[in-house]
Amino acid sequence: MASKGKIRVLIAKPGLDGHDRGAKVIARALRDSGMEVIYTGLRQTPEDIVEAAIQEDVHFIGLSILSGAHTHIFPRVIDLLKEKDAEDIKIIAGGIIPDEEIPKWNEMGIEAIFGPGSSTKDIIKYIDGKNIE
Amino acid sequence: MNKERLIEKLSEANVRAVARLITLIENENPLSEEILKKVWKETGKSYIIGITGPPGAGKSTIVDSLAKFLVEKGKKVGVLAVDPTSPFSGGAVLGDRLRMTGAQSSGIFIRSVASRGHLGGLAATTRLLINAVELLGNDYTIVETVGAGQGDVEIVKISDTTIVVEVPGLGDEVQAQKAGILEIGDILVVNKSDRPVSDRLARELQMMLSLGDKKDLESPIVPTTATTGEGIDELWEEIKKHQEYLGKGRFKDNRLEKLKYELENQISQKLFTKKIVEIGDKEITKTSKDILNRKIDPFTAVDNIIKE
Ligand SMILES: Nc1nc2c(ncn2[C@@H]2O[C@H](COP(=O)(O)OP(=O)(O)O)[C@@H](O)[C@H]2O)c(=O)[nH]1
Ligand SMILES: [Mg+2]
Repeated sequence: MASKGKIRVLIAKPGLDGHDRGAKVIARALRDSGMEVIYTGLRQTPEDIVEAAIQEDVHFIGLSILSGAHTHIFPRVIDLLKEKDAEDIKIIAGGIIPDEEIPKWNEMGIEAIFGPGSSTKDIIKYIDGKNIE
Repeated sequence: MNKERLIEKLSEANVRAVARLITLIENENPLSEEILKKVWKETGKSYIIGITGPPGAGKSTIVDSLAKFLVEKGKKVGVLAVDPTSPFSGGAVLGDRLRMTGAQSSGIFIRSVASRGHLGGLAATTRLLINAVELLGNDYTIVETVGAGQGDVEIVKISDTTIVVEVPGLGDEVQAQKAGILEIGDILVVNKSDRPVSDRLARELQMMLSLGDKKDLESPIVPTTATTGEGIDELWEEIKKHQEYLGKGRFKDNRLEKLKYELENQISQKLFTKKIVEIGDKEITKTSKDILNRKIDPFTAVDNIIKE
């Protein structure tokens, strides 16, 4: 039987600040390319995000981050996934993250980082390139 | 996770394993059948509450409040929330979880489900998805439908108690549509009772109900404000009343009725697929051409093929 699997992505916008317009735009773009997007909205803690990702059995967690909050959110999400034996869930991130930090985060387990200049097409291309199932 | 490990983890009510089984069922992966065969005896043990009503009525918010309420009463709850799949892309944005942050913090298992082209307000696999969630050992499984209005009637074939949510201010054009969906509700909820015109809606619903067929147990109308949790305890009282009304007898009869329907469906599906494969594309094409050219009528053609 041909696989009827869908790529599932959880989109979250952790941190206390801002709005979630960007995250919504990404969610819709991923939907329009055939993915199932679980949208969890603002102010999610790393614990919430990881628990939701496991329940939803997603392939990717997409973290949309505006402020400098990533320095504590990234490591926490990475650790929690390890703790829960769910390291196969890949983390991608969007937002303003200093260029010089990117290699470090990549090494720690953030698979891809999309800066302010990248388009939703780049994200879709990246996910499709991963050839899930 | 391989099959053996998955089954082992399922017997430990492991969340990751249940989530994976749900994916396999959704994808109609043959492995899901093998696994469900192994764990079947452990399923069917939760009381199923279905929630339907128009988009934006507050279904997810009610599920959130109700699920939290039940957890505080010491019950274990699982949630399935169905949202529509886009017919254009096959993708979906599943947003119910956004309104269920309270339930999420209470440790409730929530799974967002895309309808994947199935009509009727649910996904084709919903019943089996409930069975998968039941492996976590829930007392209650709550199912939220897509919310497509009149089309959302499949929920009654799944749930033990069906709740229909209405809200004031949707305009008169939907009034006419309400009649059909109201009939399926064991309990009617008027949500957003914080809004001024909600009393009027409750009165209208009462009137519509009195015009419809009489039921043994009249469907109560419960006003709620899901965002504050107001009315959720009354809703729970009504669910309990309905559950008591069903008792053991009606409860079993209803489930048997639903299973018979389901079984017939499955048999016809399997027979259908088997027969279609057996007949083969060649014969189907040839006969279709004959029908097209008026060499044979479709009724005789079908009879001939089935007799073969
Ligand atoms: N004023 C008011 N708003 C509510 C109430 N319940 C839900 N809402 C809001 O209505 C919107 C839709 O709610 P949601 O639960 O997503 O509806 P669903 O589409 O039926 O699942 C959200 O913005 C909720 O915050 C209520 O009792 N009163
Ligand atoms: Mg909803």
